[in-house]
Amino acid sequence: MLSFIGRSIVQKTVTLFFVSVVSFLIIHLAPGEPSQVDPLNPKFTPEMVERFQKAFHLDKPLYVQYVYFYRDLFAGRSVSWRDNQSVLAKIWERFLNSLPLFIVGTLITWTLSFPIGIRAAIFRGGLYDRSTTFVAYLLISIPGFFFAYLLIIVVVNSFHVPVIGMETFGLGEAPWPSLFMDRIWHLLLPSVLGATGGIAVLSRYVRAQMLEVEGQDYIRTARAKGLPPEQVHYKHALRNALLPFVTMFGLILPGLIGGSVIIESIFSWPGMGRMAYEAILARDYPVILTVNFVSAVLVLAGTFISDLLYLVVDPRIRL
Amino acid sequence: MNVEQRPVAGDSRTEPPRAERQTRAQEFWQRFAHNRLAIVGLMIFIIFFCIALTGLYLTSGPNPVLDPALVRLQEKLRPPFAKPNLETLGPQEVPALGVYVFGTDDLGRDVFARMLQGASVSLFVGFVAVGISVLIGIFMGGIAGYFGETPIRVDHILVACFFLSGAALAATGLIFFGGGLLMLGLAYMVYPLLTNNAPGKRPVPKWLRIVRQKAISVDTLIMRIVDIMLCFPSFFLILTVVALLPASIYNIMIVIGLTSWMGTTRFVRAEFLSLREQDFVAAARALGVSNFRIIFRHMMPNAIAPVLVSATIGIATAILTEAGLSFLGFGVPPPHATWGNILSDGKRFIFDAPWLTFIPGFAILIVVLAFTLFGEGLRDVLNPKLRERH
Amino acid sequence: MTVRRVLIFAPTAVILFLLQSYFWVPTYEEGTRANPARLHEYITASIGDATVLNPVLSADSASSDIESMVFEGLIDRDEALRFRGRLATSWQIYEEAFFYVNEHVSIPGVGRAGGPAVADLLQRARGRDFPANPKVKASLENIEQIVVIPAREFLVTRRGKEVKGQEKTEVKIRVQAPARIKLVLSQVDQDLFKNLSAILGKAYFASFSGQDDLTIDGEAWQREKPEYAQEILPATEHNPIVVFHLRPGVRFHDGHLFGANDVKFTYEAIMDPKNLSPRIADYEPVKHVEVVDPLTVRIVYNRLYSPALGTWGMGILPEHLLNDEAMQAEALRLGKDPATFSMRESSFNRHPTGCGPFVFQEWKSDQYIVLKRFQDYWEGPPNYERYTYRIVPDLLTQEMEFYAGTIDSYSVRPHQVKRLEDDPKYQSFSGLSFGYTYIGYNMRREPFKDPRVRRALGMAIDVEKIIDFVLYGQGERITGPFVKQTDYYNAGLQPLPYDPQGALTLLEEAGWSRDRDGWLEKDGKKFQFTLITNNGNDLRKAVLAIAQDAWRKIGIDVRTDLLEWSVFIQERVDKGDFDALVLGWRMGIEPDLYQIWHSSQTHPHQLNFVGFQDQEADDLIMKIRQEYDHDRQVAYCHRLHEIIARAQPYTFLYVSKWTAVLDKRIVIRDRDSEGRPVYKQITPTQTGNFTFYFNKWIKLAEVPYLTAEG
Repeated sequence: MLSFIGRSIVQKTVTLFFVSVVSFLIIHLAPGEPSQVDPLNPKFTPEMVERFQKAFHLDKPLYVQYVYFYRDLFAGRSVSWRDNQSVLAKIWERFLNSLPLFIVGTLITWTLSFPIGIRAAIFRGGLYDRSTTFVAYLLISIPGFFFAYLLIIVVVNSFHVPVIGMETFGLGEAPWPSLFMDRIWHLLLPSVLGATGGIAVLSRYVRAQMLEVEGQDYIRTARAKGLPPEQVHYKHALRNALLPFVTMFGLILPGLIGGSVIIESIFSWPGMGRMAYEAILARDYPVILTVNFVSAVLVLAGTFISDLLYLVVDPRIRL
Repeated sequence: MNVEQRPVAGDSRTEPPRAERQTRAQEFWQRFAHNRLAIVGLMIFIIFFCIALTGLYLTSGPNPVLDPALVRLQEKLRPPFAKPNLETLGPQEVPALGVYVFGTDDLGRDVFARMLQGASVSLFVGFVAVGISVLIGIFMGGIAGYFGETPIRVDHILVACFFLSGAALAATGLIFFGGGLLMLGLAYMVYPLLTNNAPGKRPVPKWLRIVRQKAISVDTLIMRIVDIMLCFPSFFLILTVVALLPASIYNIMIVIGLTSWMGTTRFVRAEFLSLREQDFVAAARALGVSNFRIIFRHMMPNAIAPVLVSATIGIATAILTEAGLSFLGFGVPPPHATWGNILSDGKRFIFDAPWLTFIPGFAILIVVLAFTLFGEGLRDVLNPKLRERH
Repeated sequence: MTVRRVLIFAPTAVILFLLQSYFWVPTYEEGTRANPARLHEYITASIGDATVLNPVLSADSASSDIESMVFEGLIDRDEALRFRGRLATSWQIYEEAFFYVNEHVSIPGVGRAGGPAVADLLQRARGRDFPANPKVKASLENIEQIVVIPAREFLVTRRGKEVKGQEKTEVKIRVQAPARIKLVLSQVDQDLFKNLSAILGKAYFASFSGQDDLTIDGEAWQREKPEYAQEILPATEHNPIVVFHLRPGVRFHDGHLFGANDVKFTYEAIMDPKNLSPRIADYEPVKHVEVVDPLTVRIVYNRLYSPALGTWGMGILPEHLLNDEAMQAEALRLGKDPATFSMRESSFNRHPTGCGPFVFQEWKSDQYIVLKRFQDYWEGPPNYERYTYRIVPDLLTQEMEFYAGTIDSYSVRPHQVKRLEDDPKYQSFSGLSFGYTYIGYNMRREPFKDPRVRRALGMAIDVEKIIDFVLYGQGERITGPFVKQTDYYNAGLQPLPYDPQGALTLLEEAGWSRDRDGWLEKDGKKFQFTLITNNGNDLRKAVLAIAQDAWRKIGIDVRTDLLEWSVFIQERVDKGDFDALVLGWRMGIEPDLYQIWHSSQTHPHQLNFVGFQDQEADDLIMKIRQEYDHDRQVAYCHRLHEIIARAQPYTFLYVSKWTAVLDKRIVIRDRDSEGRPVYKQITPTQTGNFTFYFNKWIKLAEVPYLTAEG
């Protein structure tokens, strides 16, 4: 166990190093250069562009820039080129905004997928199964922004309530329950939109797992000995079908920093995705690279946790 | 795994079939036909394919029947089935069908023609992107699965590093330093050829023995590369690359392809790992069949099923990705029309010309849905685990 | 079964909980009507967030929107675009001119003369008439004072030029400056020295060389001596001077009194290389800023540069919050190295303090920025209590929020103008923007060298059609590079007609004829080029398509390409690697065209990327930037405009119009002489600026019935 953990950590650190190199190269070798200076503004002279490059070490060779960048990052000193804010503080702020979306989205996905998937598996081939299958595929086939606009227009036109942003604007000094509920309402649409793909995929997966388990001998045995079908499904089958999902908890970790650019743009949600997108547009390398790095760390941590969970829940695996 | 496939590839010739023999395709079709959703998917898929081909024919060439790029400013934002105003149009500007079937866009271009062109372009983007990812995936997965345990020696890595960093340094301007590294790598490769000419092996010096140690197996190496690629959030990575590179339809296809091969690699590797242990491979190897032939002639046909499934769904995903990129302004640039950029151009007019949003929106929905249903149907059919219990 | 119950209960509970939140949310109607505080708040929206709320550091439009509310400049422009005082009550501009006495040249009628003699000569000349050249008399009368500065010696050190592989060295230069004459002029006079030549002799200034008066140690630097002489001992020098008299009693938001030291500090902050200010180029001609007394600043320029006055519209920073001590203290508080800590890192940039009409209150990144009215604003507090700047990145969402009433103004896109102008709920304003779109031709390349070809290409494009259909009529034609609503623009010039036939005739004159397939051809070469523009601008994309189509009709094979912005700029525009491009310029009001049209600016990375060169245009550009007299400037501009329109280096397409809609309930509330409120409808100024009286705006509960003024 300990040696597994040790080995994994070493391996993941090496992977992380390569990720950092690759992402650094991708960004720095792409054509075009970052600049806070608009090259087409007549008031900017080439000397100023040069001065900016110097200030951001862009005149140094690549490997020096690499060392500088990660040194600053680990010292917590790296700042965005765009507004001189500390990158980590920026990410943290956006992370807190994306977090509720992530939590509600995950909650919806996980609570909804299981009943849907299980029911579809129990009544497989039936109308319910087929219609949920169809709806699931329908949901993952709609271009996200198209769906979002449809939803917004429908909700706004028929209910006349604001749905954009993190809260109703100009609510002023309302009592805290309504402020809180207002925030929940604003979470609803974007998180539902974010969750549709997840529900579709996860419920299909649940269904497949259930089908797989239901075909096992011990289920047949349980049924043969006359247990009520409900008990067979929900006690014997479900428990074993759940096993792989425990490990999936680790894999949702990277979603923390993901955030959908498209949904956040449409809903004016000041989240991670949009920050990253704006950083790309402004060629704000420190922000792009840091987001990338943090998300790589989360991916690796996620797989690590899921490996560990697997070890814990599945007695057959011993490393 | 793959219970029914083993006899076909191995020893079907020696053993005459006892039951009424079904070809694999027949058997497959029979099972597939059960899945009604998949059949619908397949039909839409075929129709879409035909539309894309006719579209390609009708909208390309120097004088296309339906010109998707023809700007008629005076006829802009006409609703679907609007009759063109013949008085203001020149003789070449009149739409071939007599009406604007899907209306016109903000520049007065015929949306029907654009949708037709978009069908082929979208399909092309999807196919090429997925083609790239499948090729890379099969290649990497095949090597990892087949040559899995073959070790790579430390000196191989060192030489590769010399070459890579030498090339990189030479490219960034440090020509002498980079060139030196390249020469060093080359020298190391040539050195054994020169010294080992003489028969009678000399004892390997100690320093060489250290570098000749086994460092890592091919499998580990490839799977680590996969791990590295999986660390990047994919849409974000695509977005970064597409935003930084010049916008072109090829860049988008290549980028989507290069960022989505990891799944295929994993499938193929897993299949290969199990196939490698099977008798027909051992037999082929015993017969002295070359590695290359074993991989591509014997093993690949048996491992292709999951690849096919993920490729079908991959095309759907690629179309959606392109639409998402278009929404952010980084999709396929004009003059190519894709459904994604028709949709994202049209969203500005959602209150003034809703058809510009709805027609491509629903078209994407239907086609992606068809691909998904078809792909999932294939998966069900090809997955023996699920099949037995149906 | 508990498991089953949990499985069904959990999602139901989650969904119900989420859905019930609907009942807590006020509908739009409640939100706007039931909340009286809403009427005292103005909400506007922007696509992008601000970056740095510090006028010295920021370069984006969102930041400057906020800065214009929080900070105040010394001057700004009034309804007719004339300067008016804000933090400055008045100002005067005069000049000090200098020249070195040239004892090597004999002055006509006097011979070689020393300083006092020359001064005396000029003094005597002031009464005389110069029938041959009346301008000389005017120049002389303009001189208020003549002072002789006696010869003196001093030491200068300069950093030597960087030589590869060598350390930077210091060059010590001993200067024995000859006597110098200082002339104080009541008005800036760019022709002064030309006119003085009439008295002192043609070669008097031109032949002066300070080389012999310099002594440089070290052989290596002797070669650079002429350059140093030019720099240290220029034969003549214009020093325009602006004196600002500041408004007494103006306070910053924190109560601190505003004064001349703040102005000086702001200038120094811009010039401080640590701050990397993007405005540094504007202030580079400033020689020094002197605080005469707490309410008077004197700004001395080292050369004639008439756009300089306009730069003082920049927001003034509070010195007491940003000076060195304050920075050191902040660095220590944040645990950073005080030696490297600069204003760029200060928290001031997110919590600015100025002396503008609104006080900064809160900034939530990518959500909103809230400002509160400043009760002690020197012009009286604005009517609105709060000003909110929302960040809504998606245009469609912005539009929906405007309809819903949670944004007060909306910049209408061209295709919506008709619909929204007719809407009785809204009032709309429109005006010409300060920028134009053009097709630029690379004049270094064939066939664009020929002005006839450029003119023909322009004539083949139906610009009216572009305006009517792409811009939905929201644009006007433009013929040259000046802002159309200013008097610098030569309104007498006619735009190119749409005339494909005429274009073909012109092309034929230039040697192009049609081949069998209808393509234009010259010497066996097809007329073929690539038109490029940047990705992400729909209008330019449309122009690209239309131009391609129009040119194809007269037989030109045009390919088009869309490039990502930075690639477009760095790979194509900066390197001059293009045939033709569609691009736009946003212009300032100042008519300074040096960077874009002067022939010295045609090198890579410079902005005259089309390679326009014209001797007369160069002279005019220089004269315009050195002329402080408005009328003369206008005359020069009209001539320059004519030259550019004749050469057609660009096909000038259009200036677009902007349209903004506001809720009709927003009006101007003023007070009459007895302090009673008077309501007026919002009217735009002559230049179309409807927010000019923003401080007097207020929103009413009901749509008022008002008659428009005049």
